[in-house]
Amino acid sequence: MLSIPMPTIIQPRDERTQPARIVAGYPQTPLRNPRQPLVKRSPTLSELSGPLEAARRVKLLGGDIAGHGDKQAIGQLIHLKVRVLDEDGAPVGGTLVEMWQANAAGRYLHPNDDDHAPPDPNFYGAARLVTDESGRCELRTVKPGAYPVPTRDGWWRPPHVHFSLFGKVWLSRLVTQMYFPGEPLNGQDRILNAVPDTAARESLVARYLPPTGDPHDALVFEHQIVLRGRAATPVQP
Amino acid sequence: MMIPTGEATIGPFFPPRYVDQGANDLTMFDGRKAKGEAIWIRGRVVQEDGAALENLIVEIWQPDADGIFRHPADPRHARADPDFLGWGRAATDDKGGYVFRTIMPGAPEGRAPHINFMLMFSGLMRILKTTLYFEHGMDVVLLAVPASRRELLMAKKQGPGSYRFDIRLRGENETPFFGD
Ligand SMILES: [Fe+3]
Repeated sequence: MLSIPMPTIIQPRDERTQPARIVAGYPQTPLRNPRQPLVKRSPTLSELSGPLEAARRVKLLGGDIAGHGDKQAIGQLIHLKVRVLDEDGAPVGGTLVEMWQANAAGRYLHPNDDDHAPPDPNFYGAARLVTDESGRCELRTVKPGAYPVPTRDGWWRPPHVHFSLFGKVWLSRLVTQMYFPGEPLNGQDRILNAVPDTAARESLVARYLPPTGDPHDALVFEHQIVLRGRAATPVQP
Repeated sequence: MMIPTGEATIGPFFPPRYVDQGANDLTMFDGRKAKGEAIWIRGRVVQEDGAALENLIVEIWQPDADGIFRHPADPRHARADPDFLGWGRAATDDKGGYVFRTIMPGAPEGRAPHINFMLMFSGLMRILKTTLYFEHGMDVVLLAVPASRRELLMAKKQGPGSYRFDIRLRGENETPFFGD
């Protein structure tokens, strides 16, 4: 069947929905972010195309990372329902989603993490999968713990999950973090609160779904991620 | 209209296994060799004080040797090299160095040959986007950059099939980044 590709339109974002680049109390940010004004350009085909098949270049890990039986990770088991949409609200199916997080004690299995908290031999903390046609993917994991940032001035990261997504074009590539509702540390986190717009900030917090018995052993959260891009309106000949 | 999700830093703990073995070699895909001239691109990424940045994630996106993108938005995509994906990922080493093995890109319609770069790192709240060029030319993206800074986007030829593209995130000779 002949499919006419629908071009993607990318428009500038409302800057208030995006984090500040230089963040008070986050000492690396003033050393690493450009001083010069960012160059404005009109996107061309090069930026309005992008890797649709990144998942064929990397090893997928699946979405069940909590372990089972004797090998189950320590912590509150959670079931995370993620939905990936574009700016039209249309599902973004078939896109690579990379997720990583700390264990229940707030420790990453990464050489950069120090020994403030114990590793969990049954938890590596990374899921890599592809969204289905409805833009969904499901993760079975444990709730990450909070952890102190080595600024030594009382900054703790609230429980959060990191996400990296691709979408349909180069400019829809996204690296973001998801937070949990009702966490006391959310209100003072320097990264979450770098987003000035309240609604945009709140959209980074997952929604807690009341227990229904399915699954019976995990708390369920859902989270929506909106990638940049809208489908161009088809022009009638 | 929905509001695009807010970006955040990739942080210091991006899983090392997400920088897959071979993900920085675009000349091979599914065990087959892409057509065109294979080239090396090497560079070093530093911050304002000159410190080399380790574990910074670099991703590239480019067309094939004929300047065709492997994407349906390219009217010529049906003729794209089936053995070239156009995307790669690398992480910097302890000296801030990254390396890609790729194919010299052809010129896409209306553009000079170029490679799109993205940088992700702890302390970067937003992905930083820049573009590598091989020489000055008529190119709408390059011409959007102030003339005095365009040279900073030129890869330096080091030898046959070998180029250098150093990136300075902030400070003197700061690499131009695009605000999109
Ligand atoms: Fe984190």
